[in-house]
Amino acid sequence: MFETEKIFTQTYIKYRNEHPATRELACYGAMYPSVLGEIQEHDLFAGRISYPYIGFSPEPGGFGYYIQKEELLKAAQENELDAEEMREVNNLIAFWENECTKTKVRAAYPQQTARALPSDNWTSESGVAFPLYRLAGGYLDYRKLLFTGISGIIYEIDNYESATGDVDTLYFYSALKNALRVFSGICYLYAGKANRMALLCKDEKRKKELTTITDNLEFIAVNPPKTFAQAIQLSWLYSLVSGVLNYGRMDYYLGDFYVHDIDKGIITEEQALAMLTSLWQLIADRKTVFNGRVIIGGKGRKNEKNADRFALLALQATQDVKEIEPQLTLRFYNGQNPLLWEKAMTIIGQGRTYPMLYNDDVLVPAVAKAFAIDKADAEHYMPFGCGEIVINHKSYGSPNGVINLLKVLEVTLHNGCDPVTGMPMGIKTGDIAGFTDFEQLFAAYQMQVEYYVEQLAIQEEIEYRIAGENAVFLFQSILYDDCIKRGKSLFAGGVRYLGGTLETYGNTNVADSLTAIRQLVYEKKECTLPQLVAMLDANFAGHENIRLKLLKAPKYGNDDAVADDMLVRVHEHVCNFTRQQKQKTALHSYLVVVINNWANTIFGRVTAASADGRRYGESLTNGNAPADGCDLNGATALLNSLVKPSPAIHAGAVQNLKFSREMFTDFRPQLEALLKAYFRQGGAQAMINVVNPGDLENAMREPEKYGHLFVRVGGFSARFVELPGQVQREIINRTLYTKDRV
Amino acid sequence: MKGVVFDIQRFALLDGPGIRTTVFLKGCPLHCDWCHNPESQRLSPQLMYNREKCRLCLECLRVCPHDVHRFDSDRHDINYENCRQCGQCVEACVYGALTLSGREMDVDEIMHIVHQDRVYYEESGGGLTISGGEPMLQYGFTAELLRAAHHNHIHTCLDTSGYAPQEHYREIVGDIDLVLFDYKYFDADSHFKMTGQSNSLLLQNLEFLYHNGPGIILRCPLVPGINDTVEHLSSIAGLAVQYPQLLAVDILPYHDMGRDKASRAGKEYRIPAGVVPDGNMKKKWLEQLFSLGCNKARIV
Repeated sequence: MFETEKIFTQTYIKYRNEHPATRELACYGAMYPSVLGEIQEHDLFAGRISYPYIGFSPEPGGFGYYIQKEELLKAAQENELDAEEMREVNNLIAFWENECTKTKVRAAYPQQTARALPSDNWTSESGVAFPLYRLAGGYLDYRKLLFTGISGIIYEIDNYESATGDVDTLYFYSALKNALRVFSGICYLYAGKANRMALLCKDEKRKKELTTITDNLEFIAVNPPKTFAQAIQLSWLYSLVSGVLNYGRMDYYLGDFYVHDIDKGIITEEQALAMLTSLWQLIADRKTVFNGRVIIGGKGRKNEKNADRFALLALQATQDVKEIEPQLTLRFYNGQNPLLWEKAMTIIGQGRTYPMLYNDDVLVPAVAKAFAIDKADAEHYMPFGCGEIVINHKSYGSPNGVINLLKVLEVTLHNGCDPVTGMPMGIKTGDIAGFTDFEQLFAAYQMQVEYYVEQLAIQEEIEYRIAGENAVFLFQSILYDDCIKRGKSLFAGGVRYLGGTLETYGNTNVADSLTAIRQLVYEKKECTLPQLVAMLDANFAGHENIRLKLLKAPKYGNDDAVADDMLVRVHEHVCNFTRQQKQKTALHSYLVVVINNWANTIFGRVTAASADGRRYGESLTNGNAPADGCDLNGATALLNSLVKPSPAIHAGAVQNLKFSREMFTDFRPQLEALLKAYFRQGGAQAMINVVNPGDLENAMREPEKYGHLFVRVGGFSARFVELPGQVQREIINRTLYTKDRV
Repeated sequence: MKGVVFDIQRFALLDGPGIRTTVFLKGCPLHCDWCHNPESQRLSPQLMYNREKCRLCLECLRVCPHDVHRFDSDRHDINYENCRQCGQCVEACVYGALTLSGREMDVDEIMHIVHQDRVYYEESGGGLTISGGEPMLQYGFTAELLRAAHHNHIHTCLDTSGYAPQEHYREIVGDIDLVLFDYKYFDADSHFKMTGQSNSLLLQNLEFLYHNGPGIILRCPLVPGINDTVEHLSSIAGLAVQYPQLLAVDILPYHDMGRDKASRAGKEYRIPAGVVPDGNMKKKWLEQLFSLGCNKARIV
């Protein structure tokens, strides 16, 4: 049992005091090939991976040198180990709990940082802010890989190596070259596997496919690829081995190979689609949950015509392979080949969610400004994971901190105490009874935010530093600007722009809460702030009327200046303050991301009732979205609200939009016009969902959260929420399933 | 100038081409049995009571100075006659059971809202629609709104029953790009019984508008068993022949959603329950109209 984990640990101990590059290389030798999966029945490319309980990776297995303690213990129990084996497992755990990279990062926190960020357990403990341990969002230079080839890159490193006399650098270069040789070895190993499978295969078609896999692997082990299939094989396998979870500007690096093979008659369109479908399935099976981005379209692709042809193929593959990954992402700009947009709309209308849409006309200048880089670099902005932006193989921007802004407000309203646990939290910003006007409250909230953001920035800097001291991340360093040129590893001075990102949650809840407090407490004087806070602490028990009044206050998402201005104020404060942290740290940038995942639900569970009318435990709003059921003024008003917070002061915000199916069937031209107008007005991004049967059930249960549903009858004036329950149910049914209007 | 508006709907997709903002003006000289905006008929603002949302909290009773709200053994009744539309009970009702339909707005206030969606109109070929009620009842206000929109190069559409003095239409016709013209029944006497007015003035105005500029879409509400007679369908087809430049003939199948609003506004609703046409009936109407040569007909 746990052979890989044991060998890995022995190897690490043996090389513990060697140069980090040498140690890491040896550890790869302990992980590979045992972590590699077999070629499966329909695979047209070799390469599957599953990480051990103890190992090394930037993120997918764990952070740096990692141990998956819970999973390891669980596996040990399931396998009913004897006492001796169990003792060995416990020894492994004891060793790695001290030695893993995460432990070293936490040990490096100064007192202030440790005080602000006392826990790493963000998914179950109540808290304002937490560090995340990972190096997420690596995007490799695939064009360099494909157009230079393994031997070409070794040759390049040779040249740099012969020009340096620095011993440390020599260790680095030597390890880089050896890592590439490890990679070649993996190619040969898979080639051997495929060859054996081919010999045993009775099906002539599959035999031929396996022979091709063999030939391609043997070729790319050394040479730059010559065909589309070889290019896919090399880029895919290298992604796996390097541990990156997102797959780059695929049209930019595969487009030329695809067009070459098609135009020369080497492959047919059907064959090309079959290859991409197989790649899509491999990506899907890797199940990274929040990653698996493939980017197509946009500015900065020098081979635009070829790239666009590939992009259409990629869209087709996404239409055919109905999986959660890859998260196909379409960048577009005014003047781009319209076929891409048209195809995208068709697929989205089928309820696929993909491609996600990114507007270059807004984002290129916004990214240039937010990151303080030039336009040429900004043209290679890349969303990864849940929507954080980095610059293709030039920047890192791992989201290593999370902050619950609604909890910040909650702690502020309790003068440095967490009402959920009753424990001190944050800083004391003053007794709220003394806040005689709204601005005093707002200033206190800002102070509390700033206290946390400062420490989170320091935390991010430390995490990179420790990562860089402990490991060189050989495979990524090879394909990241400017690691080879500088002779420095990724996180030890190699990457051109080392930035960080901070995930903020509850942004809309904070804004809507502050709007409601200003209106009820300071303008209408319905109650005092301490009275209101007491009601929140009681989760509105006995005060439902106040909750309804809070709900009636203006809400973000209705193109209402009162509510939207507050959101902009909250947004600008946290974004600008976060952005300023680059002056206090070694980070090239430190930026907010407003993204979409399940953190809003996790944080909601431990966040008390809030002044926007949200009850204790309910989810926070998602991304930059309005609160559920609060956008009542129609899609144009919603989109007008969404474009108000500036995209030029953060590193990505996600806009989830949901439309009923009839919008894609009966109102397709209006829907497209709606989106075009949104993007023209400054819309940066859209993720478009179609209302699905799951929503139906939810709407039946909580119709008040579906106020945005429309009653489409000519000349008829009524809001969905105003209709009798029976009629609401009829409308939900109709907009979901049929084209027939009332 | 101020007008009484009872609703403004943004992202309206069925009141003319493209993405539109529909402004609903209060007041109507007709009172059709099937009216789906019954709260719009009276010109002045109107209290609406939604029994489903009422929690019998008595807050309205506490604030009302005019003895409108009566509570009797768990039942809340409204004396609409007494209501002076002061809005105090609406403000006090946190459950949203009481609302006031209609408020005074001026042209600038409305145009500010209309302007917010300008880019959407441009991308979709949409614009402003004025509906009601019968917007020609507040004719001066309608004229100013249309003029303001046209001045700003926003496409304008008027949703009208045609029941207004012709000289009013004459004055505004230059500021209208499109008219949605209601056609309810062919026979003048029956029309009177159904709507409270004869149809002769409407037909004269249709004739006038048809020859004076704007595009026209005929809008025909059809209520099963009430006005979906063969004679009426023939007359619709006849109008399509008489006016070959009509942009479309829209059939608006009856729906039941006005019933609830009538009850909330304290109004009688005379169409019996259970006459909502099904898909087959709508298809049959369309086939009949096609067979009568009216190929511009469509169900909306």
